[in-house]
Amino acid sequence: MKFIHMADIHLGSWRDPKMRDLSTRAFVTVMGCALAENVDFVLIAGDLFNTSLPPIESLKVAVTQLKRLKDAGVPVYTIAGSHDFSPSGKTMLEVLEEADLVKNVCRGRSVEGKLELNFTVDPKTGAKITGMIGKKGMLEKSHYEGLVTKNLEQEQGFKIFMFHTAIAELKPAELAKMEAAPISLLPRGFDYYAGGHVHIVKEASMEGYKKIAYPGPTFPNSFSELEKLGCGGYYIYDEGKIAHQKIALAPVITMSLDCTNKTPQQATELLLDEVMSKSVKDSIVLMRLYGKLDSGKTSEIDLSKVIETLHGKKAYSVMKNTSKLASKEFEEIKVKADSAEEAERSVIEEHVGQIRSLELDVQEEKALVETLMNVLDTEKDEGEKVSDYERRVLVEVQNVFEE
Amino acid sequence: MIKGQIVGGELGRISIRQKSEQQLEIGELLICGDGCQKSLLQVYDLTYGSQISSSNLELVSGMNLEDGTDVSFFDANMRNYTIAHAKPIAVLAGGNVQLCKQLPIFFGEVRQVEEADLRFMTAPARPVYLGNLRSGSKMLEVPISLPGDKVFSHHVLLTATTGRGKSNLVKVMLWSIVDKDYCGVVVLDPHDEYYGRNGRGLKDHPDPDRVSYYTPRDPPPGTCTLKINLRQVRPEHFKGAVSFSDPQVQAMNAFYKKYGNKWVEAVILEKELNQGFHFHEATVGVLKRRLSHLLNLESEGDRLSCNGVFDLSAGEATINDMADDVENGKTVIVDTSGFSGAVEIMIGSMITSEVFNRYKRYKSKGQLDDKPVVSIILEEAPRVLGKEVLESGPNIFSTIAREGRKFKVGLTAITQLPSLIPREILANMNTKIILGTEMKPERQAIIESASQDLSQDDRNIASLDKGEALVTSNFVKFATPIKIPLFEEYTEQTRPDEAESSPAFDGVRLD
Repeated sequence: MKFIHMADIHLGSWRDPKMRDLSTRAFVTVMGCALAENVDFVLIAGDLFNTSLPPIESLKVAVTQLKRLKDAGVPVYTIAGSHDFSPSGKTMLEVLEEADLVKNVCRGRSVEGKLELNFTVDPKTGAKITGMIGKKGMLEKSHYEGLVTKNLEQEQGFKIFMFHTAIAELKPAELAKMEAAPISLLPRGFDYYAGGHVHIVKEASMEGYKKIAYPGPTFPNSFSELEKLGCGGYYIYDEGKIAHQKIALAPVITMSLDCTNKTPQQATELLLDEVMSKSVKDSIVLMRLYGKLDSGKTSEIDLSKVIETLHGKKAYSVMKNTSKLASKEFEEIKVKADSAEEAERSVIEEHVGQIRSLELDVQEEKALVETLMNVLDTEKDEGEKVSDYERRVLVEVQNVFEE
Repeated sequence: MIKGQIVGGELGRISIRQKSEQQLEIGELLICGDGCQKSLLQVYDLTYGSQISSSNLELVSGMNLEDGTDVSFFDANMRNYTIAHAKPIAVLAGGNVQLCKQLPIFFGEVRQVEEADLRFMTAPARPVYLGNLRSGSKMLEVPISLPGDKVFSHHVLLTATTGRGKSNLVKVMLWSIVDKDYCGVVVLDPHDEYYGRNGRGLKDHPDPDRVSYYTPRDPPPGTCTLKINLRQVRPEHFKGAVSFSDPQVQAMNAFYKKYGNKWVEAVILEKELNQGFHFHEATVGVLKRRLSHLLNLESEGDRLSCNGVFDLSAGEATINDMADDVENGKTVIVDTSGFSGAVEIMIGSMITSEVFNRYKRYKSKGQLDDKPVVSIILEEAPRVLGKEVLESGPNIFSTIAREGRKFKVGLTAITQLPSLIPREILANMNTKIILGTEMKPERQAIIESASQDLSQDDRNIASLDKGEALVTSNFVKFATPIKIPLFEEYTEQTRPDEAESSPAFDGVRLD
């Protein structure tokens, strides 16, 4: 048995067209590998799209690639992740499933308030696959708490459990604040646990749970992920052995400068010197500036000139992060974050507890805010009337509150 | 109900003649006086009294025993009786309670204490429930709760011999504070008895999300596997847990200095140290063997495999998650039943250090007032607070015992042997909950360090039955006798309501 396990593709996540293109190419690369490697099936453990109703371009890429696999007889098994889940149940994954391009394995029945999941059996290999969706704010935890595990654990054969949840025991230290569920909520005794949601590359085993794998995103989704991961990847499982494959599309070069006790002019010169000493052709260049300037404002560092120089040297893309940069004149930065999501989380944390009328506890309130933000992030579809768009968003918002 | 009459004595030793049909007990609470001022007395000793001289009594006994005659006393109830020795423990004046500075009325009648006498004993704002007020062996319908925020930060000592109900008391206390956000608790549970894996326990609390349970074996659904990342272990975590020789400690520090958080791997895999650091081969060998054994590690060539709680791939956030939970006022139970004492202490050390360091930071930033008080519940406390252990240097627990109060971090130390704990640490433990203690030296150690004068309570403490306790604290007006309810019975009153609505399982394709 041979299969590919990927997660967190987040098609459509990057606003910058060049980075979005790389993100798309990463997905296309994995699909190409699936065909080249002649795998039996592909697992997508959540967040194929960055939103439940993605823009047409992202959808087009997904459909084209999934059709390639369908035409080659390679089934794709999915679950919804925290980004492509929708409380109304209307997600593009459903459309893809209706078109027979993917198979959602998170299916089952509700019996006396408990959830009994069914297995989806891969026709070629007989692998039995099931899984659980991921939701914002770890709201899938209640699904796990209501999950009947006995039938899943007693089932014989090669079993795969797909999940889109951070596991508390496997959470890395740098994501310590991320909400997570203990491994004990997952059914035991599966042969492979295909994880998503946490953007880390990790394979681990624990008592009762072997081969728990997080492949990380197929392409990094933020500045800090580019810094940390360099590139995306996926797992390939081949007769009991698993290997992580990197998708290296463009080298990542990090330029890190401590600006403490430097003037903006000195910082600019140091950056330019470093640029001149590096070969950056076709690379993604990350500039991280930190520390406290000796004088002047942070905006006086001539980053435009540095970026222009980098582009002149044919850098593929240049990104800067000055969240940890301060000047003596302007010190107050309320939210320091490496990614938009992190910034959102910080702001939510800062303001949580202020919605009194709904009588929510802190966790529920955080989840509500995150879900609302996700819904309100929905973009207007091409050709959609403004009034229809507003109505659609309103319905989604109502669904969130009814939930 | 009149129980007797005061017939003599002095302030700390009042003699009460018992009424013939009444039965006074050691520890019984009595009231003398009425109206606006009443004295609350407690019996601490009982003796016989008789109007007949002892030589005549002996003669009568001889006639019964030797001659077989049946001699009895005329008006026996008038001539022979029981004298109870009581101490005044408080004066109840209106709604106030004062220490007793005057004798109760001479020849005043004493009666049984009633709930109405004790209306002043109201629950504090942030209560921790201990049990009900006890008079002798009778439990009164007067719940005794202490101000938990103050009690926990000023340390609690819980002492008793085996089988007197220590665990039951801790369970009752924890149950009463699980849903209170003023207090976060870490419970190091060497008998895996608090969560209730196989019976009723804190998992059955109506607010179960406020209990976090970490266990290394077969975690029940929703609870965490106890995994701690090896790279979070630092040399100081062994202090108080394992006794290393000086050269071994120096070697550990040298490895830590060179390899940082990978120092344990470096020791086990026999990596080189910097020039200038020379340790005897045997020292490093013994260190490697001891660390491998303690942390359950194995090495083969340059590969290290982890077989227990300490792991290289898991547990990076465990200590942080635990500290977060405690900081959010939750109760964190760590099942240490499968570990040696040293490993239990070491894990406890890691958690405690994290919490304590955080709280020190909060204090320096002026944020401490917003945080709940923290209590670390530690069984067999002399393992870390004992005189012998402390001779080899302080550890995190002794540091907290000495200065934790300033940072709202306290210990709840449980022991059978308080005499092993140095006097200055015992004195720092402002609340002592004393259950039945048979050994004289142990009673003496507690009596000498109690917040109230217990000099006459030696017999009282010795006679405490299972579930009975005496509470002394800076936060009670008098040494309070309590009866602790059985956990199962106490918690029966608060069974959670059945869930009314079924979850919708949205997002799952339901057939």
